[in-house]
Amino acid sequence: MDNIKETIIEVVQSILPITIVITILQFSLIWLPTETFIQFLIGVLMVGIGLILFLLGVNIGMLPIGEMIGSALSKTKIIWLIVFFGFLLGAVVTIAEPDVRVLSTQVDQVSNGEISKTILILAVAIGVGIFVALSLMRIIFSIPITYILAGGYGMIFVLAAFTPSTFVPISFDAGGVTTGPLTVPFIMALGVGVASVLRGKSASQDGFGLIALASLGPILSVLILGVIYG
Amino acid sequence: MNIHIFQGFGQTMGEVAIALLPLIILFAIFQLFFLKLSLRKLLDIAIGILLTFLGLSFFLQGVHIGFLPIGEQIGKSLGAINYTWILIPIGFVLGFFATYAEPAVRVLIQQVERASSGYIPEKVLLYTVSIGVGLSVALSMIRILAGFSIWFFILPGYILALIMVKYSSKTFTSIAFDSGGVATGPMTATFILAMFVGIASVTEGRDPLLDGFGMVALVALAPILSVLTLGILYSRKEKELYVHKETETETDSYDR
Repeated sequence: MDNIKETIIEVVQSILPITIVITILQFSLIWLPTETFIQFLIGVLMVGIGLILFLLGVNIGMLPIGEMIGSALSKTKIIWLIVFFGFLLGAVVTIAEPDVRVLSTQVDQVSNGEISKTILILAVAIGVGIFVALSLMRIIFSIPITYILAGGYGMIFVLAAFTPSTFVPISFDAGGVTTGPLTVPFIMALGVGVASVLRGKSASQDGFGLIALASLGPILSVLILGVIYG
Repeated sequence: MNIHIFQGFGQTMGEVAIALLPLIILFAIFQLFFLKLSLRKLLDIAIGILLTFLGLSFFLQGVHIGFLPIGEQIGKSLGAINYTWILIPIGFVLGFFATYAEPAVRVLIQQVERASSGYIPEKVLLYTVSIGVGLSVALSMIRILAGFSIWFFILPGYILALIMVKYSSKTFTSIAFDSGGVATGPMTATFILAMFVGIASVTEGRDPLLDGFGMVALVALAPILSVLTLGILYSRKEKELYVHKETETETDSYDR
């Protein structure tokens, strides 16, 4: 019960400020038709209810799945198996990530379907998957995170030179939205599970850094998508 | 009255079902070969998945009928105003409050307080990150109005971050780069982004695809730079302690 109450408070806290700012704007500068504004308020209510149900569902269903798969995988101690399923999990979670869907919908609309929602989501998912696999390898072989970060960002700057300029902002935004309410706890749970079983070392230090790398992946994959399109 | 609430809801639910399917299949494979959970636990997880499904459907539907259209319309009316400079403070206010209240930011703050053993108080980081995000959104407004390329902000931002990494401790580096996503929650990706696309579509000479997007990227930079800054301050303080100890004991175990 405490859990439910906490989730409700969390959701209200994250939606309310923006809603208040919009309401103030509506009655000071904008004056949209009342119907539009009422529809927006109903939308806010649905977003709120949706987020509450979603976060509860993530806690009851998704997180335990992530943790159990993470520790079951680590117990096998087969490196290629861990890395392979790390890739699959990263990709599969991203496909279900709400923020990624919202961004792709907008890109699809603005580009008049030229950059389709499905393709963008798949590109982002593959990017996250590859980098989750890489970060698991990083944990297993203790590679310093700065190497991968520097290498990753270096590659981004090179790729950006070859990709159509419209893809650059989208790719960076894709990197930002992957770290949404589903991916973050799920990947954290997976990484911490793998780190603690595999090397029995302080999970906290190695579990961190996973999200940073996971958000590098989509930037690269969307840039590559741009190179293919261009 | 011309209100559409459940228009396309069936389609949204179908989309969500397809989105969750791969995860469910993967779980089913693990259940068969590795996990072999009891029926009771399976039931719990099934309830969780059902809640996720309903939640995601409602969330996306609400975004489609509420946040996206109003974001775009607000953007269009604001972009058409004569004194467009007002967009800059509005951007700051939106970014600041969206972050100040964001639960994910609270989690980050607790992490940092623990990592610095209380040297960096919660309030300091909360204000640093919120102001940082506010500035990012304000800068993005300037970017749209003036038509700068996104590189003018991204390149110096990340170069600065990589330089700061050299002076920050390892723990803070990890926390900093992980925290990039905390401020880019569902509200940023829905409302603020839609507003930017709206503004770009009515501002002359701007391409919504090229200039409307890119805001999330800047918002993701703000917490990284904030945490790194505080990390450097903290490691300085730690160094001072080290130097004090060193002069006292005259050893040179100095490797930070």
